[in-house]
Order: sequence, then structure tokens, then C-alpha cells
Amino acid sequence: MSSLFLAAALALYLLSVMTYGAQLISPRPALRRIGLGVMAGAFAMHAAALTLRAGSLGYESLFPLQESLSLIACIVVGLFLAISVRTDLSVVGTLVSPIAFLFSLSAYLFETRAGEQATGLHSVWLPAHVAPAFIGYAIFTVAFCLSITYLVQERQLKRRRRSDLFRRLPSLETLDRLNYRFISWGFALFTIGLITGSLLAKETWGSLWSWEPVQVWSTGTWLLYAVLVQARSLGWRGRRAALITVLAFGLLLGSFLTVSLLFPGKHGGPVGP
Amino acid sequence: MRREIVAVGVSHHSAPIEVREQLAITDGALDASLRELLTLPHVEEGVILSTCNRVEVTAASSRGDAAIDDLVRFLARAEHVDREQVVRHMSLFRGRDAVRHLFRVAASLDSMVVGEPQILGQLKESYERAVASGSAGTVLHRCFHKSFSVAKRVRTETGIASRAVSISSAAVELTCKIFDSLEDKTALLIGAGTMSELAARHLLARGIRSLIVTNRTYDRAVELAREFRSTPVPFAEIERYLPMADIIIGSTAADGFVLTVPMVEQLLQQRLNRPVFLIDMSVPRNFDPRINDLDDVYLYDVDDLSGVAESNRDEREREAEKAEAIIVDEVEGFCRWLDGLDVVPTIVALREKAEAIRRREAERTLAALGGLDERERRAVEAMSTAIVNKLLHEPIVRLKRNGGKDDPLYIAAARGLFGIDEEKDS
Repeated sequence: MSSLFLAAALALYLLSVMTYGAQLISPRPALRRIGLGVMAGAFAMHAAALTLRAGSLGYESLFPLQESLSLIACIVVGLFLAISVRTDLSVVGTLVSPIAFLFSLSAYLFETRAGEQATGLHSVWLPAHVAPAFIGYAIFTVAFCLSITYLVQERQLKRRRRSDLFRRLPSLETLDRLNYRFISWGFALFTIGLITGSLLAKETWGSLWSWEPVQVWSTGTWLLYAVLVQARSLGWRGRRAALITVLAFGLLLGSFLTVSLLFPGKHGGPVGP
Repeated sequence: MRREIVAVGVSHHSAPIEVREQLAITDGALDASLRELLTLPHVEEGVILSTCNRVEVTAASSRGDAAIDDLVRFLARAEHVDREQVVRHMSLFRGRDAVRHLFRVAASLDSMVVGEPQILGQLKESYERAVASGSAGTVLHRCFHKSFSVAKRVRTETGIASRAVSISSAAVELTCKIFDSLEDKTALLIGAGTMSELAARHLLARGIRSLIVTNRTYDRAVELAREFRSTPVPFAEIERYLPMADIIIGSTAADGFVLTVPMVEQLLQQRLNRPVFLIDMSVPRNFDPRINDLDDVYLYDVDDLSGVAESNRDEREREAEKAEAIIVDEVEGFCRWLDGLDVVPTIVALREKAEAIRRREAERTLAALGGLDERERRAVEAMSTAIVNKLLHEPIVRLKRNGGKDDPLYIAAARGLFGIDEEKDS
């Protein structure tokens, strides 16, 4: 049942990739409404799929890599819809929609069966670790999209070109402000995730810190975000701030994908912890 | 000799900003340049128009080709000018084309942003300066006055002005791509040009929080500041205020850069890389173009702004077509006047007019008297002819003697006194 909803969500994501793509070329306001509508429909299907899955197989069934990517994609889309209500962020949508599509596609293609799912961890710290970490990841993903859009707009302003795309882009300040807000929230949640993760590690592995790849990499990423948030809270702005947001997201994605796949360790690869 | 109108110069159509700024004639140098213009051997009258977008001389001469050579040399005379490059970018107009060009400029059809209203004011001022220096004469008086009325006609009869987006409003439009709102922003105005004043007005209209004004002459800054309810600061202390400004507009007549790369580097550091928008409204440029290579600075000069200002282009172009038709019409009228400004056609027209009056009056008299015989009728005719000829003799002799020489004023006066052109116009 849940895979049926997921399939519907996927189809709608694909459609929204196309409508957001079309918005780059045509400035018609109707397209913007259609894009938002399709995206909202996809979000509803996706959320239904995830809820059904968690309901029938337990919330742990959302933690393997593919499933968690799908969960994060769903949160990303929700966040994007929330900020799109007030600001025209169609150009950001052209980035968000393919990310949502690809992340949920992985969940659809490599759906983990109930037997393969994570077992063994039943600590109260598990949801306290995973929930903020995932929401944090989702927030950083949106921040990444905003930064990319900032860099595109920045290029356009520098080159003094005036394309249709340029006209559709929000102001640098809007992008920067949203970006800062997202980075701050993402950082707060990421921090909570790290702390609860350490407590979880203490409970299950016996120590707070065990030089485990995901732990090391995540802490490195956390440090970079910490520097970024600190600099930004002092008023630091601009192109390099956007570049560092992109770089930090790259590290984050690295810790999430590469490490999980290449150095499975204790943390949990594609198959169980 | 009949005078011809020629126009020589560079504009944003023919030359990039690098060339235009080499030729720009500053306000202070204008009077001297106008006087110098009159010393050219083949230039009898001349008006110099020097704005951000064009440096052009409109002149009247009895020898158009020679005058064009004179003017090209005149414009490229300064030491620092790359002569070959300048000559390559010059546009030359003669006769009817020159008149048409002037009318198009006045009507803002030749502007970077078609329909923007600033050019007419700039043209009027150029003309007044030429009148004050004595370099505008009969032909250019009429030509420029005509251009002003053409501009007015274009303005009222076409929709071109209503859709006009001036360079300065285009600049303010761009701020919306950088900043969210202007309510917490500060703008710094360096120099007090027309363009920057307009930009300031636009910024105020959009609710900019504060405006700082500076000028080399502090009094002028104070004056401007009073007008815009802003803060004047001394030019020497400009570096202290740079980091405060989110938008910096330059429009000084300075040679050399007011804002250099190291200055901007420093201000960015102080601003922690918060973006800053630099608008260079002046030619020669006030801000070093290399500033744009720095991060988080967006520098636009007048050429860059033109691209931004090109919205609503199609609609404006349709209106521009209407305007062009008006101009063709007016050029016709002016050229008819100018062609007539020669001895022979003036004498012919004078004779024709007199003869027409004589015949009409003679016929009326003969009809009133009635019953005259052939001899008496001829006597009346002969008398009327004699009066007309005697009356016209002196003017015609004098016209032949003086009108051909140096000043078309004589011919223009004769035509005016006898109402020759009014007759034709109606």
C-alpha cells in the first residue's frame, strides 16, 4: 500500500521537475501555481506513504539509507512549500524537485523488506538522535538549494545579464536571509542530533566517542557549520558564505552517503546497524 | 552661400563608454570649447552636447564636408585621445540627416532608454550655453527651437514618454534584485549630477532609510541634502562613510576614479562582505571598472543600466514609429525653411508674393471703377507694378549684396519681415 503512494508521489515529483523546469523558460504566473500545486500533491502522497510504512513496519523501518533519504526528501519538500507560500522561489523549486525525485526514487527501487530492516536498537535515544538529525539534514538541503540559487543570481548580477531567469530570481538579500535562518535551525538540530547520538553510543557501544567513520565525519561537518553560523551571526554575508554552505552540504552528503556505503562500521550501512 | 547643418560625434550607439569618456567635455570646459569651436575655419555656428551617453557637435556651415573634417579634428584634439579609435566610432550626419538626428535626440528617440525625459533638458541647456557664448546663430536658433517643439509634439502625440524608464529608475529597479527592501538601507550620493539626483528621488520614493550626500563643493552637498532631507558630509571624509552605504551612486565630473579597488576592498572588509551596489552614473567613469571583479560588489555603469532599462521594449517601439513619422514631417518643414535661406529663392519668393498682392489689388480696383477703357486699365496696372517694383528694389539689391556673404540673418530677417514662410506654412 505504501509503495503505491510512493509511486504516486514519484510520478508527481517527476511532473513537478518538469513544471519547475518550464518556469525557467516561461514567466507565466499560472505555471508557478501549477508547480506549487503539483509539489503539494506529491508531498501529500509521499507523507502518506511514509506514515503507512512507519505504521505497519514500525518507525525503525524508516532508518535504513534509502528509506531515510526518502524521509529527508519529504521533509525538504515540506519546508520548501512552507517558505514558498510567502516568497516566489520557483528557481529554488527547480533544485528541490529533482532532489526530492531522486531521493524517493532510491527508496522505491531499493525498498528494504521488513526482514532486512534495522534491528537491535531499542534505546529511547534512538528517535531522539534520528529525528533531529534527519530534520537537520533536510534543513541543510534547503539551505544548500538557497545557496546555489544565490550563486546563480550573483553570477547574473555580475555579468549584468538580464534573462527571464534573472527576472524570476528573488533578491540576494531574501535568499541570504532565508539561508541564514535555515543554517541556524539546521545547526541547532544537528547539534542535538550529535549529542543524543553520543549518548546513544554510550548506551549501546559503551563510550561516547569511538572514532567511528560517521561520527568523525559528522563532527567535522558540524565544526564547519559551527564556524559558518558563528561568522554569520557576526554579520558576515555574501558569496563566500553561500559557497561555504554548499561545501558544508557536500561534506554532509559525504558523511551520509559515502561513509555509510563505503565504511559501514557500526553505525549502520544499507543493511542494519 | 547656403548653410548646411552637420552633426558629428559619438553616442552610445556608435561608441562604447571607453571612447565616450575620452571625448566628454566637462561642464567647466564647455564655454572654452564653444569659443574654440567658432575658430574652426569652416564652422559658422555650433552647439556642443556632452552627456553620459553622447558627445556631439551640431554645427551650421557653408561647406559641410570641410566642416565635418574640422569637427572630427576638434573632438579628437585632446592629448589623451586615441585618435584612430575615436574616428572609427564617430557618427557623421549632413543636411537633412543631421536635422533628423537632432530632432530624434531631442524627442528622446535616440536615447539609450527611448523616451527618457532627461535628454531634452540637457539639450536645452547645451543650446543656452551656446547662445550665451555666441556660438549659436540664425540657423541653429531655428533648428534647436524647432527640435524642442518637435520633442514636445512627440511627447504629447505618442505614448513614448509614459512608458519611459529612465536610466536612474532602471538603476533603482536593480536594487530590488540585490536588496529585499530599502527600508533599512543607506545610500551614498557622490556628486550632484542630474542622473544621481533622479536616482535619489527614486530611492526616496521607495522608502530608503537614509541618504548621505557628498560633493566636492560642500555647499552644494548641503543644498542637495536640504532638498532630499538627507545628511551632507564633506568630500574629504568620504572613506568614513563608505562602509555604511549599501548603495553608492557616483556622478562627479572628476577625472580619475573616486572609488578605487583598494578602497572598495577595505569597505567590504568593514561590511563583513554584506553586498554593496555601486552605480556609476558618470562619464568619464567615477568608479574603477575593475571593482566589479571583487566579490559581493555589483558595479553598473550607464551602459550596463541600459540593458536593464529595456523592458516594455516592443510597445515602446510601436510608439517610436509614430514618433518617427512626426519627425519626418518636421524635418521636411525645417529643410524647406533652410533651403529657402538662400538669396535666389528668397528674391523669387518675395517677387511672387508681391506680384500676387499687386494682381489681386489691381483687379479689385479695376472691378470697382468699372467702365474703364483699355488705356486707362493699363495705366492702373502700370502704376501698381511700378509701386511694387520701386518698393522691392532696395530690399532686393541689398539682399543680393549682403545676403550671400556671411550671415543668413539678413535673409532670415527679410523672409521674416515680408512674412514669406508664414504664407508657405499656412
